[in-house]
Amino acid sequence: MAQIELNRLSKSFKKNHVINDLSLSAEEGEIVCIFGPSGVGKTVLLRLIAGVEEPDRGDICLNGRDVTEAAPETRGVGIAFQNFALFPHMSAYDNIGSALTARERDKNVIRIKVERVAKLLKISHVLQQAPRELSNGQKQRTALARALVADPKILLLDDPLRNVDAKLRYEMRLELPSLLKASGSTVLYVTQDYKEAMALGDRIAVLIDGGFAQIAAPSEIYRRPATLEVARLFGDPTINLIPGRPDGGSFAIAGVAVPLGPTYASETGRACVLGLRPESLKLSSQAKPGAFPVEIIAVTPLNEKVVLLAHTPDGREIFIAEAGVEDERRAPGPAFAHFDPAEALLFDEASGQRIEPAL
Amino acid sequence: MSLVEPLARPASKTMTDIALSLAGVDKIYLANTKRPIHAVRALDLDVARGEIVALLGSSGCGKTSTLRMIAGFESVSNGAINLAGRRIDPLPPARRGVAMAFEGYSLYPPLTVRDNIAFALKNTRLSAREVAAKVAEIAALVEIEPILDRYPTSISGGQQQRASLARALVRDADLYLLDEPMGQLEPRLRASLRGRLKNLILERKMTSIFVTHDQTEANALADRVAVMEGGVLQQLASQIELKERPANLYVATFIGEPPMNVFDASVETGETFTFTVKDGPRLSYRATEFGEAARVGIAKRPNAVIGVRPHDVKLGVGDNEARVVSNQWLGDQSHIALDVAGKFMVAVSQTEVAERPGERLRYQIRSSRVHVFDADTTRAVSHGHEAAEV
Amino acid sequence: MMERILRGAAITLILVFFLFPIFWIVLMSFQTNEDILRIPPSPFFTPTLSNYTALITGKLVSNAGTLDIAFMHNLWNSVLLSTVSVAVALVLGVPAAYAFARYKFPLSEDIAFTLLSFRFAPPLLVLLPLTLYFQEIGLTDTYVGLVWVYQLIALPLILWIVRGYFEDISPDIESAYRIAGHSWPATFLKIAVPLAGPGIAAAGLLAFIFCWNNFVFALILASADKQPVTVGSLAFVTASGIQYGQIAAAIVLSITPVLALALYAQRYLVEGLSLGAVKG
Repeated sequence: MAQIELNRLSKSFKKNHVINDLSLSAEEGEIVCIFGPSGVGKTVLLRLIAGVEEPDRGDICLNGRDVTEAAPETRGVGIAFQNFALFPHMSAYDNIGSALTARERDKNVIRIKVERVAKLLKISHVLQQAPRELSNGQKQRTALARALVADPKILLLDDPLRNVDAKLRYEMRLELPSLLKASGSTVLYVTQDYKEAMALGDRIAVLIDGGFAQIAAPSEIYRRPATLEVARLFGDPTINLIPGRPDGGSFAIAGVAVPLGPTYASETGRACVLGLRPESLKLSSQAKPGAFPVEIIAVTPLNEKVVLLAHTPDGREIFIAEAGVEDERRAPGPAFAHFDPAEALLFDEASGQRIEPAL
Repeated sequence: MSLVEPLARPASKTMTDIALSLAGVDKIYLANTKRPIHAVRALDLDVARGEIVALLGSSGCGKTSTLRMIAGFESVSNGAINLAGRRIDPLPPARRGVAMAFEGYSLYPPLTVRDNIAFALKNTRLSAREVAAKVAEIAALVEIEPILDRYPTSISGGQQQRASLARALVRDADLYLLDEPMGQLEPRLRASLRGRLKNLILERKMTSIFVTHDQTEANALADRVAVMEGGVLQQLASQIELKERPANLYVATFIGEPPMNVFDASVETGETFTFTVKDGPRLSYRATEFGEAARVGIAKRPNAVIGVRPHDVKLGVGDNEARVVSNQWLGDQSHIALDVAGKFMVAVSQTEVAERPGERLRYQIRSSRVHVFDADTTRAVSHGHEAAEV
Repeated sequence: MMERILRGAAITLILVFFLFPIFWIVLMSFQTNEDILRIPPSPFFTPTLSNYTALITGKLVSNAGTLDIAFMHNLWNSVLLSTVSVAVALVLGVPAAYAFARYKFPLSEDIAFTLLSFRFAPPLLVLLPLTLYFQEIGLTDTYVGLVWVYQLIALPLILWIVRGYFEDISPDIESAYRIAGHSWPATFLKIAVPLAGPGIAAAGLLAFIFCWNNFVFALILASADKQPVTVGSLAFVTASGIQYGQIAAAIVLSITPVLALALYAQRYLVEGLSLGAVKG
């Protein structure tokens, strides 16, 4: 029986359908990342599950119990907010303890639990301080501690790393998975950073325009995105999208018939969009079969790869990413780009759905 | 023209090439009180004409104060600022020949976006048609054509930011100052805007300085990057220099994502150079692998801090072994965290890695990839086989 | 330099303008009636405590005989009325302010504004009908009646100021407490109220001052033994002449508690007063 079950949830604010007919189930101990572009949907979803907002339609089952009508304090979830939401007039200790004081009277039990979770999150030394005296990183960990201390079966984390500086965010991204798995809770983790979603999630639920465009494991979403929009959201730089119509086994890019292989032969004549991830494009200075001409406009060396902005002869912008090119330096000028057809993605133009290649 | 050629910018800058120069610039806030704040310390900075320099650092490092001093919104406590051959630090902002794009957008609410941008050209002798053409051109570059006739209060934060950028860039100025120019923009937009912005700046030879806390932005746009921390300039160099030859531990761990792995180690020298990480592995190399200057520098230090970039840790081979703590695949690369010396050592691989958390994995760090830093001064001693510059 | 001199001069002028009456009254309170009425007025006199003693003992000895003064009783009435009114207004107003801040129910803005408008309306507007109604239900000349009417003064103030403070509290903080397992009443008492504390204190203080200063309601709706000091001072206009000295002393005694309270909590007052104006 799934730990979390959301059944056809809908919520709108003044004609804005923030959440539309959403269904999702999460198994015990699973970490499901809810990922999507900026907008209120993800946060509203967590609030619905926590009980501070009521859905217009649909129901929510937690731990096997229908809680759609239940008050928040009865749902037994732990939550960490994006803006921490710590109680300013209480010490860090009392903030964390507040998750226990509603049900636990014994001060000793509370102290043991609070100290244990503080040690785990490395904030034991600031427990007596008030929130305004804490750094952002410490506030974030206090908020997390508050969510974890009562050993909730269900953990809702609303983009907890958003307001934390880049270094700490990376560190937490490494530590969080083991922390969360050790707690044994079922976790719903909201984020706007696709790398975070891929790093942390057992599965990712991609929320676009109020609905889940795809719910799958990270590798599935990256390699076989359900729609064009999903493909666009994962990957940096974003995937190159070239409209056209396949013709027998090839696709025309800037007038050059590039082979796609027999797997898409059946789509001849259909209005499609070809998706090429920047890392799948390779550059060469010589023309070769299957390569199309480009003009390199800008070369941007990033940390571990070089991103090139290029234009096709018909004026389309293309991003190419080359990994670890250390000793060669590319320069603006003409070149040829080619790719392995197996790495290409094809989408139906009208619906945005990805077309499965025939085997 | 071949595709592969050395990086373009000439290394030498003659005196006439320098457009902007800061000499010994200090900024002290609350100077006459009990606790003055030394926001900028003894800053020396030279920017060549047509060069783009990024001021990079975390919040509070002094980069914004520096920009504001150059613009004229803050007075200089000590030192001088020269632009295009004349001293500008006593002048009010309007007389400095500087164009600025602010972090807080600062568009005039009663004017449309178009008029806001055109306003920057008010005091030029251009005809209305020329002004309209320039506005259209810059609007196309930052992709705000659809909103040119809207008012600032009715457009999104990202659009306001782009409009503010357009207003700064449309003018002809001796120096362009950009304060976090793309902070509010979505990643998609940033990537394409970066390329086009860089092109514009190169084409028009616009000397520019921009402030950012985002390394990717600094990497993408700048010719050279000035890393600042605590009001002090840590290093001013090209991105490659910063990455491969960081001057000190701060720059080494600040630049690069994921950050460089650093460990305290004791050093034994002789025929073999051995770095023994405290509670961790031993890395042994033949002394002859290192250049002579590097050998001398390393030998002087029985204790040092060694660093290796995540991308330089080779997995699956080598004499050392560690337990995998996490294995995160991000689509185009994998980030593997190994348990080394009680903390994480991160390795980045371009392919998926099979080992799961809990399993053991071999790794190798070549001598050409080891950075050595002095344990006390944190200055760089050697980078790979070569000694660091003093 | 010039700016500083002008600024100094302007501040001095304003201070003199506002403080001079108080200063003069304090002086008067230590003078006998003869000294006060002397022409030309002289700054030199022998101070006397006779005015204060008269007030405190309740007996005014004058040429025409001994008069009973109920001043101390009036003072007590002021304290009682103001304190109880503010207490009632807080008990009613703070939860109401919370409701207005957190829940957007139909017409909520209109209702809130109507309640605020009571502050704008001149008291005379309601006095006549009130007098008639009070007479019918027998509330004239009762503490209950007066406290009830004083709500017209205290409630809108408390509502508007405290609402602003509740609105400033991020709803996430309250949500966090609820989700942590606490009921709504616990959240209100342990989180919302303490965090709005400064606002509640400021509003209460302001309401106290306004209740204390009220003249007209008590004048019409109460008679002698329920009257606060504002009305009670009328008694000094006697048949044998206006007892300026005692009035001055009475004024000093009347304003002292409120002045002390205001000075003590001055910081909160400024915060509370500007809150309505400067909302982000």
